[in-house]
Amino acid sequence: MENFLSLLAGFQVALAPENIGACLLGAVLGLIVGAMPGIGSLAGCALLLPLTYKFNPTTAIIMLGALYYSNMYGGSFSAILLNIPGDSPAITTALDGYPMAKKGRPGQALMAANMASFIGGTIGILILTLTASGLATLGLKFGYAEMTLILLIAMTSISWLIGENPIKGIVITMLGILVASIGMDTLSGAPRFEFGNMYLLGGVPFTPFIIGCVGFAQVIKLINEREADEKKRANEDSKTKLSIRQSMLTGHDFKRMLPPTIRSGVMGTFVGVLPGSGATTGSMVGYAMQKKFKSEEPMGTGAIEGIAASEAANNAAAAGAFAPLLALGIPGSGTGAVLLGGLMMWGLNPGPLLFDSNPEFCWGLISSMYMANVFTLLVAILVIPFLIKILSVPVKYMIPIITCVCIVGAYSTSNSMYGVIVMFVSGIVGYLLDKNGFPTAPMLLAFVLAPMLEKNMRKAFIASQGSLKIFVDSPLKLVLLAVFLVLILTPVVKSIRRKMQAKKAQA
Amino acid sequence: MKKLMALTLALLMTLSLAACGGKTEQSAPADSKGDASTETAAFVPSKNITWICTSSAGGGSDIFSRKIADIMKNDNLVNGQTIVVSNETDGSGEVGRNKVATMKAGDADYTLLTFNSGDLMPMVKNTKNRSSNFRILAIMAVDKQLLFSCPASEAKTDYAKAGGDQNDFAAAIEAAKNGTFVVIGGSKGDDITTYGKLLAEIGLTEQQMGYITYDSTSDAITAALGGNVDFVISKPAAASQYVESGDLNAVLALANERYSGNLAGAPTLSEIGDYNNVEVPVWRGVAAPASMSDEAVAFWSDVLGKVSASDAWHTEYLEKNQLIDEYKDTAAATEYVTAYEADYMAANGLS
Repeated sequence: MENFLSLLAGFQVALAPENIGACLLGAVLGLIVGAMPGIGSLAGCALLLPLTYKFNPTTAIIMLGALYYSNMYGGSFSAILLNIPGDSPAITTALDGYPMAKKGRPGQALMAANMASFIGGTIGILILTLTASGLATLGLKFGYAEMTLILLIAMTSISWLIGENPIKGIVITMLGILVASIGMDTLSGAPRFEFGNMYLLGGVPFTPFIIGCVGFAQVIKLINEREADEKKRANEDSKTKLSIRQSMLTGHDFKRMLPPTIRSGVMGTFVGVLPGSGATTGSMVGYAMQKKFKSEEPMGTGAIEGIAASEAANNAAAAGAFAPLLALGIPGSGTGAVLLGGLMMWGLNPGPLLFDSNPEFCWGLISSMYMANVFTLLVAILVIPFLIKILSVPVKYMIPIITCVCIVGAYSTSNSMYGVIVMFVSGIVGYLLDKNGFPTAPMLLAFVLAPMLEKNMRKAFIASQGSLKIFVDSPLKLVLLAVFLVLILTPVVKSIRRKMQAKKAQA
Repeated sequence: MKKLMALTLALLMTLSLAACGGKTEQSAPADSKGDASTETAAFVPSKNITWICTSSAGGGSDIFSRKIADIMKNDNLVNGQTIVVSNETDGSGEVGRNKVATMKAGDADYTLLTFNSGDLMPMVKNTKNRSSNFRILAIMAVDKQLLFSCPASEAKTDYAKAGGDQNDFAAAIEAAKNGTFVVIGGSKGDDITTYGKLLAEIGLTEQQMGYITYDSTSDAITAALGGNVDFVISKPAAASQYVESGDLNAVLALANERYSGNLAGAPTLSEIGDYNNVEVPVWRGVAAPASMSDEAVAFWSDVLGKVSASDAWHTEYLEKNQLIDEYKDTAAATEYVTAYEADYMAANGLS
């Protein structure tokens, strides 16, 4: 009750005309920047942060909140339309989003992503409102052993992406882990696999790597398909026009996506609250969980359930991540760290005292998230027809444009050509791998998750002095372990049962 | 029509991006005529200055660099020239530092580098660069550390589970000697060095009192709040608000004398047993390429001295971050950093 009174007071702040304006401006800018492949929410927030310096702290953070939020929406656009995930949470969105767009339903895929984001985000914000400070302390209950188990669960999502040839899948996963281990050892600071190269000391930067593997590899593929595409276009008389109305989801679509959205929304919020996990782990756990439920089409072939599960979890986690940020001053992700930096620039110290010392600011921010969510949804739906035009641009024009965007995105991560080189190299490697039947998605997931898993597991072992007991000594750990075992053992049990049934049928 | 629209849209996106990226690029064409005249006369900047910060935007080093650049501009100390802060984080900052170390004369007079103890240690450990490859212009501020704990947190460590008192470091030393594992958390750079010195002083091994490395001090404090470590090493500023809210307790001052204010309760190491005090100063300084001319070195050292004497530096930087005001000019700073480096290398068996 007290929370709702505070929230109402917060709305009073957020609904001031200048704050609504800031929110709307943030939503539009964030969406545009987030939609650019390779920018994503982290670089987007960092680029747009200086814009907010002109305002007072409350207005500024409202705008920044809207930016952050709409960036998350935008990230899915390039994932669905171009198969280039803007940032790591969108990797799983691309898995089903791109095939669905290829099937001729790009409008619906975007709409599904928007709706799932909206519902997932709303669930996240509602939970945040109800529990704000309590949620943050819950996150603290998770030690390294628990985080290790959660990351193992997230890791299982790799197994769904491996494809028809498990050996190739395992090889590529290992390659992802190997690339991730380049650079400084996270615990001891000792250099690993840097071969005396100063650049490699800092590791392989994520954004250029992902833009290359997915985006630039796509460009090389397009070059090969160019002639076929021109022939196809010449034969095509009437091009399909797409309007908002045609992008609408059918009642059936909506029914398919609602359960995964709600499930992922609730789960995503809690994953978002855990220190250091953030939206990426959220969307991956969401996607892995969805695999265990029924979907009408197989996941990975353009199932709307897959888009819903991944997008809802990612936006819910984005909202959930605000709980530890505000109540404890702990950023849940890179983007959270940028927001934290912004808050400190305005002289606000996020931490245990913030809710008491600056209540109008905290609740203003939370209520502005409701507004940002609605604004972003509206803006996102309105831009769908424009975005879809990208798909009707002939391939010969798309090749130079995507190449430019790839280069700019790779350069902007650290303002140096190193990123661009990494992008080109990983693009060529990614293309060759793909051509030889090695799926690249498992490599990307392994690249993101392996360092987090390593860090948490090694910390757990330091604390337990090498004893495995640390993974089984509390009920919570046992539950997580059980979930993990169920996830990895069900396919094995299923296949054994199928074989036994086949034997019975034979006999 | 549709094609045109899509193309324009895509182009617009690319352009707006390019514009964003362009801002941070340095735009200082070499002015060779200007340099020749500065040989004899005292150095006065006649073109834009590039300030390289090897940490990402928004962090502690970045704020330090931008604050000094701001004060230089506002107080008109650099002949009206613009200072462009450039964050070069490739290779954990080693690429940026190496670029400064190997810069040729000319541009060298217009290049500054943020150089902290936390930058020096990994550089010396992982690369061939040494502080002698730079000109050390000044040290601007010094910080010291404390050991904090969060006794109210859930008991997850061996020491806490065994009923150990996290407010009493002497008891923790005793427990560690008797076989109960005690764990300390802290960040990568300065904190781990302090931990090493602390361990050597109290005569324990890593198997008795372990250390978990975090990416940042705030991560380490989070771990202490969650009960994942028994003690956390932190500078006063990062822990201050948690002490105020009662979440963290100051347990041990890693300094030669006690702190004041709400940290006064923490004893030094010599107070709790028969040990010497452990104090590892954490310094923030400014360096330049080795090829910077002596006139320019004198100029910059002097300008940095003026910054450190300004009101804005005291109220907007030092007080806000609870740092100790300690300006050292180029001669004193070079001597200090050289001694610090030798000490660090000896302690880590480097040559």
